[in-house]
Amino acid sequence: MDNDNADSLQIDDYEQAVELFYERGWTDGLPVVLPTRRLVDAMIAGRDRNESLGPVPPKGGEATLEKLAINAVMGGCRPEHFPIVIAAIEAMMTPEHNLNGVTQTTHMCVSLAIVNGPIAKALNFNSRDGVFGNGYRSNGAVGRAIRLAIWNLGGAVPWDTDKATLSHPGEYAFCIAEEEEDNPWEPLHVERGFAAGSNAVTVFACEGPHSILCHGTPEEMLHGLTDSICSLGNNNVHMGGQTLVVLNPLNAEEFAKRGWSKNEVRQYLWENARRSLSDIKACGIVHQQFRNAQQETGRYPFRYNLDNPTTMVPVTQKPEDIHIIVAGGRTYFAAVLPGWGSFGGYAATVPIRQLPLK
Amino acid sequence: MDIMIPVWQKISAPQIAAKDLQGLKGSKVAIIDDNFDVPFTSHLEKLLREVHGALVERFVKPLGTAPSPKSLIEAAAKSRVAIVGIGL
Repeated sequence: MDNDNADSLQIDDYEQAVELFYERGWTDGLPVVLPTRRLVDAMIAGRDRNESLGPVPPKGGEATLEKLAINAVMGGCRPEHFPIVIAAIEAMMTPEHNLNGVTQTTHMCVSLAIVNGPIAKALNFNSRDGVFGNGYRSNGAVGRAIRLAIWNLGGAVPWDTDKATLSHPGEYAFCIAEEEEDNPWEPLHVERGFAAGSNAVTVFACEGPHSILCHGTPEEMLHGLTDSICSLGNNNVHMGGQTLVVLNPLNAEEFAKRGWSKNEVRQYLWENARRSLSDIKACGIVHQQFRNAQQETGRYPFRYNLDNPTTMVPVTQKPEDIHIIVAGGRTYFAAVLPGWGSFGGYAATVPIRQLPLK
Repeated sequence: MDIMIPVWQKISAPQIAAKDLQGLKGSKVAIIDDNFDVPFTSHLEKLLREVHGALVERFVKPLGTAPSPKSLIEAAAKSRVAIVGIGL
């Protein structure tokens, strides 16, 4: 190794270079693709390398396109993946997502990136069987690039600024695509105001997927879904916020065949996924304290009588805070991914743009 | 190989430490209320006023888990002391 300078190192030995990334804390525990200048330049592809998306919380490293490109190479991205990484970071840095809190909370939420639009199919993102699992470069590489950028630019490192009590494996990579073809409803980004056929990324900070055995008639499926969404252990029950429900294509087809729109499913879940105030209070003082804090800051309107133990409290303040997407195989399982509560981590959607070349 | 560095090498300007306080009596003290425990924050405010004789100004963060807005930080910084966090 010689000729160290501000933005690169000269290293001729491959093994030494891989180990150096561990020694300097530049990787998350897994080895990386070495970000050679040639690969990084190909990722930047003539864009303005100094353009910044802003300081990445919590430590505030600048998300310049060059630094994002370096982390994208490290994660295994190809240049065609890079606009998705940029969009995901843009989305994570919106105020409603509150990345500063998401990266430092003791809760186990991690920002999930959901890719929508033709780009998902063009780049072979997995949206079907095993969607949260392994086996697909696009899901893995884009997901890891995002996490490495948060690691290296945000400095969100366990035992330091990342105070997650347990965290979850999505810290390494947490990126899926929504299934748009085998789906009777409009996709997530269209619901959120983007044109059909456009490309967009939605980020949402959430726990890992909790399996829900979900089969049968709409009423039978909803019976299991409502119970799973309002488990007493999740933050939503105590603090509201947002939650994510993933229905598989067969679930969605069964709902649609019987005339249920996505909004009707959402409305049903909101009206029925509730816990009594006495149930919530039985969890103890800390939970009650959070609930009081939410009411004092206006997050729970007074229509929920928090002095009456029989009051049924919804998991979110409004139905729109229950996000529903379609993904996975055509079997008997759905999933819920509870959010962080009303602290933030809220869904934010950003279009995937080909940035202007310099 | 020319290997590029993935981190932002931030250079911070040196900070000058404030002089030690001999006491809080008559000093302007800012409390940043993060909304997590309003009664506890109020109790602390009362102690500072009644026991230590501080001139307390309370600022409320819009969200406990996000940084304070710049305007709030600048206003709090005009105090002699600022309490930026309390244990839950």
